[in-house]
Amino acid sequence: MIETKQLKKVFKSADIETVALAGIDLKVEEADFVSVMGPSGCGKTTLLNLLGMIDVASSGSYRFMGKEVYNLNEKQITRLRKENIGFVFQNFNLIEELSIWENIELPLIYQGIKKSERKRRVREVIDRLEITHRKDLLPVQLSGGQQQRVAVARAIVTRPRLLLADEPTGNLDSMHGEEVMNILDELNKEGMTIVMVTHSHHDASYSRRIVHLFDGQIINENLNRV
Amino acid sequence: MWGSFFRMGFRVLMRQKNYFLLNLAGLTIGIVAFVFIYLYVENALYYDRSWKNYPHIYRVNETYSTGGKEEKMALTPYLLADTLKNNFPEILQSTRLFFTDPSDKNDVSSVNYRGKMYDIPNLTIGDARVFKVFNYRFTEGNPDSCLLNPNSMVISTTMKQKIFGNKPALGKKLKTSIRAYTVSGVFDNKNRPSHLEFDAIISFSSLDKKEQKQLNTNWFWMNCYTYVELADTVNVREFIQRANYFAHMAIGKFVKKQKIKINGYMHLAFQPIQDIHFSQGLLYDSHSNINMTYLYIFVIVALFILLMASINYINFATARSLKRVREIGVRKVMGVFRKQLMLQYISESLIITFTAFILSLSLVELLMPVFNSLVNRQITLVDSLFTGSGLVFGMILIIFMLLLALFSGSFPAFVLSSLQPVEVLGGRGLIFRGRKKHSFTAAGLRKFLVVIQYLVAIGVIISTLVIFAQIHYVKNRPLGFDKKDVVVINSPADTSFRGRASAFVAALKSDTAIEQVATASSLPGYLTEKILVRTSDSSAGHLQTLDGFFVGYHYFNLLKIPLAKGEYFSSAKKNDSVEHFIINEAAVRFLRLEHPLGSYLHTPYTKKGIIIGVVKNFNFSSLHQQIEPLIFMLKPQFVQYVVVRINPYERKEALAHIRNVWKKYNKGYTMYYTFLDQKLDTLYRSDQKMLSLFFYFSLFVIFISALGLFGLSSFLIEQRSKEISIRKVLGGSEKQIVLMLVKEYVVLVLVAGLLILPVVYFFIGKWLQSFAYHINMSLCYFVGGIVLVLLVAFVTVLLKALFMVRKRPVEALKYE
Ligand SMILES: Nc1ncnc2c1ncn2[C@@H]1O[C@H](COP(=O)(O)OP(=O)(O)OP(=O)(O)O)[C@@H](O)[C@H]1O
Ligand SMILES: [Mg+2]
Repeated sequence: MIETKQLKKVFKSADIETVALAGIDLKVEEADFVSVMGPSGCGKTTLLNLLGMIDVASSGSYRFMGKEVYNLNEKQITRLRKENIGFVFQNFNLIEELSIWENIELPLIYQGIKKSERKRRVREVIDRLEITHRKDLLPVQLSGGQQQRVAVARAIVTRPRLLLADEPTGNLDSMHGEEVMNILDELNKEGMTIVMVTHSHHDASYSRRIVHLFDGQIINENLNRV
Repeated sequence: MWGSFFRMGFRVLMRQKNYFLLNLAGLTIGIVAFVFIYLYVENALYYDRSWKNYPHIYRVNETYSTGGKEEKMALTPYLLADTLKNNFPEILQSTRLFFTDPSDKNDVSSVNYRGKMYDIPNLTIGDARVFKVFNYRFTEGNPDSCLLNPNSMVISTTMKQKIFGNKPALGKKLKTSIRAYTVSGVFDNKNRPSHLEFDAIISFSSLDKKEQKQLNTNWFWMNCYTYVELADTVNVREFIQRANYFAHMAIGKFVKKQKIKINGYMHLAFQPIQDIHFSQGLLYDSHSNINMTYLYIFVIVALFILLMASINYINFATARSLKRVREIGVRKVMGVFRKQLMLQYISESLIITFTAFILSLSLVELLMPVFNSLVNRQITLVDSLFTGSGLVFGMILIIFMLLLALFSGSFPAFVLSSLQPVEVLGGRGLIFRGRKKHSFTAAGLRKFLVVIQYLVAIGVIISTLVIFAQIHYVKNRPLGFDKKDVVVINSPADTSFRGRASAFVAALKSDTAIEQVATASSLPGYLTEKILVRTSDSSAGHLQTLDGFFVGYHYFNLLKIPLAKGEYFSSAKKNDSVEHFIINEAAVRFLRLEHPLGSYLHTPYTKKGIIIGVVKNFNFSSLHQQIEPLIFMLKPQFVQYVVVRINPYERKEALAHIRNVWKKYNKGYTMYYTFLDQKLDTLYRSDQKMLSLFFYFSLFVIFISALGLFGLSSFLIEQRSKEISIRKVLGGSEKQIVLMLVKEYVVLVLVAGLLILPVVYFFIGKWLQSFAYHINMSLCYFVGGIVLVLLVAFVTVLLKALFMVRKRPVEALKYE
């Protein structure tokens, strides 16, 4: 599903150049579950952004479902992303003006799904993530953990083939964290490909593979539970 | 301490050039518009208030009716002034000026000095006491005696400068084609806004004795403006009653002596001189008069423009400083730094407002000539702004700027202190964002402000469109005759011209570029005679007033005025024992003639006449008025105008030919001529002026509201940059997101359009009612106005929205 070759990302500001990713070769097969680990600042989020096509690499190649992403135009990328990728951001990125329900419904609207179907699907995920009784609140009225679960709900409501999750349990207590991981595990079993950034070895244990990043480079890939 | 704030302020503003320029432009334009409108209104209100005794000076207007038709006019008979003054000691002074039409002049309006001809734009005749009432400052000559002697001419300083330069003018001779005048005085009319607009006055005693005698005896010959200065102890109401009674008796005596019967009345009205500039609906009144309603509209528009500019400015400043607060961190703002930050904002604001103030005054000064020619005034900024009542205005303007700076500088701090720190740190939009409990009213306020801006913009634009359409309509409506390709030549005033008129006409006809030539005393768009007639069977023999044209042969053919019945004048059928008349259909109805052809009409001063033709109604005065009853009398010897229809494909040749023939027959006379259609256009001068004013208003209002919207929407959209990115990541297309951003503003414009609709309908409807012939206010003007504003709003918001949406989502998501 994913294949990157020598993917590099360099941030240039006025006088300093930060090499966030220094040549990543990564392959993720369909229905794989990959954890990305590494110290803060090693480039995990940057990598996820590149995989999610919300940022462009400085050099290298990125093939997604057999297509070279950097040969596509903006419109094609938007479509590819809309139809295949779900995103859980490290900082949630919920839309403040929209209620929880509306936030989760939004990607379905953009996919052009009919209202009744949307209703059904949103209900399904909020039930699954136990946020039903908060559906009419605004994001600010939720705790960090609750917001995180909304972010997860929004990412999976479209049933993407690839889920990119940046520390999806970062703000959750162990009980709720466990729940989210169980959901991801289920989704993966249903065939969803998942790339997840995490600092937690426990969470990483749910994945099939762990990629260790250090200073923008993959230092170690190991299979988890073969 | 302030010094360092200002230094810092400059640095900040230099860094944020776009913000600085946008703000500066908006504020400057706002002030420029406001100052201009103020100057105009102040000038208008000052009209005729500079005369030393102005509260006691009145112009005598006249209402009269004969045969059921009432007319009000600013003119009175010459003898009225003397008659009143001789009988009412409470009249301290009286004077009169003759009516003249500056757009209808003949050779006498230009003077010859040392071989060079000078045109006097507005030349009139006045009695010897003009300058006793109107105390112009004299740079040469004696105001009390300058108009006593025959052939004296008093000229304005402007005229004097034009003819004599810096040399003295007193005693110099100015020659017209009929006589030479001696300059007996030079008056200064600068800074004297007045309905009086003459550039030179000839003494009444210059008229020939016979004419003087007639003027001094005839109550029906109304050709003068009469002014009286009353003693300040007079009970004006009671005086007017006595004066009217007296005039009534005098006219009664005169009518009896003339052995005529009139079923009518005449009433004198005494109009305070400072009201003249705003008087409407009087015949022969000053062309520079304005409608008080316009003045109110101007004031409202001015206040709105200033309000809009200020709102935009405060909005801008607040938006920007809140953004900065978020960067600095709110805890600091709430604590020690709050006061310093406030001072910092205020000093930045002061820099902008002060720069805008200086810039706008310079702009006003720069644009003053354009403005003056637009509104036809002579306003100077320095005189108007820094003297007298202007000083107060100047002070108010400065105080206003200071307040604006203070308010826009401290407003953000107030907003901040009303919020909990965590809300600010949450990075949310505070007052400008909707759907949050504490910001609900602020979001409403923002929408309200945007709606107000659009209200004004749409209102002004719709008005402009309707005015434009109406003026286009009046200029192109078929009038019932052919106004195109007609040259009207003003005959020389010299009576000797009558002798050579037919030769002149024959010579004109000799070129193929000339299609037809006729002579007349009046034409459509020109002044008409008032003619008293009586029908044979009007039992009591009462006279009725009709508008009258004295015309020669070929007149109807030339103007292509179609016949309804009978025939045109022809020399073959001319019968010396009886006059030949042609009337229009309106006159048939007015005189209640069942069989007009062959009917006889009697007038007090000519032989009886027979109606030989009835012409179809045509508009011979402005389309503000209905078609009035009109009578044509055949008078080939009355050649006030020589009317020429030229071949439209040989205009140049025709005009050259006319000039040549004029030179041959009228050597030494200046030829004044005009195209009939152009002369007709002058009937709508004040409407045209209103159109251009509204056009400029539209520009101002569109500019300011677009600027405001651009600033506000930029800020709002920028604030939503993160949301935009999230939406993109969630699969929103550029089109969807841009539409979402723009939609909100479109709704606001539509709401504004609906709200302003009835207001515009009412006011513009009223204006249209002032035309007897007018367009219908169709929906398309409203739609046009709204669409135009919508377009401007759409483009403004779209620019920013597109820019934001095109950005890579990661840039906005990264931050926090
Ligand atoms: N927009 C940017 N401009 C400049 N430098 C950036 C930008 N985004 C990331 N970086 C730099 O790139 C490097 C990798 O950042 P990234 O956010 O990917 O780290 P991370 O592994 O996700 O860290 P964390 O575990 O703290 O989330 C860091 O050194 C960071 O400073
Ligand atoms: Mg990260």
